[in-house]
Amino acid sequence: MEKIQHDFPILSKEIKGKKIVYFDNACMSLKPRQVIEAMDEYYYEYPACAGRSHHKLGEIVTQKVKEARISIARFINANENEIIFTRNTTEGINLLANSFDFKAGDIVLATDKEHNSNLVPWQALVKKKGIKHQIIKSKEDGTFDLDSYNENINGVKLVAMVLTSNLDGTTIPAKEIIRTAHEHGALVFLDAAQGVAHQKVDVKDLDVDFLAFSGHKMLGPTGTGVFYAKHDLLETLEPFMVGGNTVEYSTYTDYKMLKAPEKFEAGLQDYAGIIGLVEAAKYIEIIGYDKIKEQELKLNSYITDVLRKWPKIKIIGPVDPALRSGVISFYIDGVDMHKFALMLDEMANVMIRSGQHCVHSWFNDKKIFNSARVSLYFYNTLDEADIFLKNLELILKIL
Amino acid sequence: MGIFSATHRALAKEALDCVFRRVTFRPCNTGFKEKIKNRIIGRLLNRSIFLARITNKHFEVFSWVFFILMIGSTFWVVKGGYNYYIYGSCNGLNQSGFCAFDPKGENNKVTDINQQCGVEEKTEKNVTLENIDLSTFPTKNIGSKNTVVLIGCYECDYTRKAYSDIQKLVREKKTNYIFAHYPAKENTNFLSEIGYCVYKDYGDRFWAFNDYLFTVDKVEIYQSEYINTILRNFDFDVKKVNDCAQNPEIKKLVNDQITQLRKTHLYGTPTVFINGKGLVGPKPYRVYKSMLNKFILF
Repeated sequence: MEKIQHDFPILSKEIKGKKIVYFDNACMSLKPRQVIEAMDEYYYEYPACAGRSHHKLGEIVTQKVKEARISIARFINANENEIIFTRNTTEGINLLANSFDFKAGDIVLATDKEHNSNLVPWQALVKKKGIKHQIIKSKEDGTFDLDSYNENINGVKLVAMVLTSNLDGTTIPAKEIIRTAHEHGALVFLDAAQGVAHQKVDVKDLDVDFLAFSGHKMLGPTGTGVFYAKHDLLETLEPFMVGGNTVEYSTYTDYKMLKAPEKFEAGLQDYAGIIGLVEAAKYIEIIGYDKIKEQELKLNSYITDVLRKWPKIKIIGPVDPALRSGVISFYIDGVDMHKFALMLDEMANVMIRSGQHCVHSWFNDKKIFNSARVSLYFYNTLDEADIFLKNLELILKIL
Repeated sequence: MGIFSATHRALAKEALDCVFRRVTFRPCNTGFKEKIKNRIIGRLLNRSIFLARITNKHFEVFSWVFFILMIGSTFWVVKGGYNYYIYGSCNGLNQSGFCAFDPKGENNKVTDINQQCGVEEKTEKNVTLENIDLSTFPTKNIGSKNTVVLIGCYECDYTRKAYSDIQKLVREKKTNYIFAHYPAKENTNFLSEIGYCVYKDYGDRFWAFNDYLFTVDKVEIYQSEYINTILRNFDFDVKKVNDCAQNPEIKKLVNDQITQLRKTHLYGTPTVFINGKGLVGPKPYRVYKSMLNKFILF
């Protein structure tokens, strides 16, 4: 663990004489030096354009981006021509929402815990094209209601669901959902923003049609993301953003688009970010998902056990930490949970998230004001968990 | 803090917005109150749960108390700044209390009239020109509507510091100007008679001589031999001036002058009267100039 922590420069820094305890990984993961160095290398050694310039530096970048596409494809077991680099998950979802040939009345099915990024683009399509957006409510314990899903899958055009919730860490039974959807002629999109960082995502095994994830939640640079689509489906999508590097040629009156994936990557890309993203994926593979899950579960169980001893505190989602990935979202009735985040930060540099975590719809429906969210990753330790719990206990004493 | 520190300016802006909304009976919409409250309580929690609990419970009351204190301190800061600009001291004319803009009290330092040259600060006295006869002192620009009286000592650092500013004021504003030598140090007692005699016998040529005495190295005015050289350099009749200075009648007249000056209740030099208002200690030039302004607020 010491070696792993050493890889993350920010973890060796102190603020006001104290190390930081970073428990906001569902928002943004920390970056290992390998990622930072890879990005630095781009800027120091070959800061040029890819796919356009044929000089020595341009050729290096073109080759690096090509290799990056292969690496990322392998990371989720896709083909390289099925990988589109985006700025983040949100862009990937918007790409799908605006490129797919939706007709009025088409049904898009979602969970009740969608991040605004996988909610608002579809709500916008309800207004723009007249599609229908339907919600599958979770069970009482916060897990996915497969029975309700099976009852509502008929006539659905697209299932667009979050793989792992950033609200409570629950993961939907994706494989079963996808199989049922396909049986009923529906396509499936998975928002894997919180997925790929914590669990192996194999698009072929899942047989998922579309998937998007962000680099910044999986040790990668900000402003990087990936949109995956099965290649035959990708060719049916009409790019909603066109321009430089998306066309074979243009005249004053016409143009001819390139094939996927290039036609979806308009304009100059974040090459440094893409190169950093590959390093992030490599780092995760070296650590291994088994170890990541093991550490997250150990920490989640430890913290959950203590939190459950304080009757005021209510944990959102299943009681069993094994069902909540590295996320512990909790609240106290009638208390603004921003208090906790601010005080923990001030007291001991414990950094957690507070608010509605971009899942306003769920909070509004449940009439819960907000929650505090601890989101863990493999580089977090039991000592850090103790610091968090000790200070949380102090706060509880003054409320 | 935001007023003085660039790093806290954004915080100050947010705070002012919040305060403005609260005093206009609207809720604070920046989350500022919660941010500050919880950060303060977080810090207190590391020291005392009791204090943190009290602060948490009564934060609103504490906030209003601090708001009122802020309004009060803002008023005093503005008043202090105004006083400093107009009078050279945050606390008002001739007030020698601590002033952040003049922490060493340079604008109020005087040479004590009963002691050696020093830096001792005195409390304010009611220095006045009422019923003081200044008719025998060197005077110029007679007939001007403004009058400047400088009571100073040739040998004293603070008079020397103020002297050039007073000359500049007299020159620029063409004020009636009366100079009175008050020998705060015994070394230069004899210069009162010398000065009087030069003015009596040579009229306006006295002023150049006077300027020289205030600008020349102090050691050159300690002894009468040196003064004789200076008188000679100014083309004055040395014997005549010295005879005059030794004349018992002149000595008595000079003594009467000192008696008149003491009646002003002056406690140190320089003491400057501008249109009757006394300024003790060497003030910045703007202060002397502002005394001629009739629109001073308080």
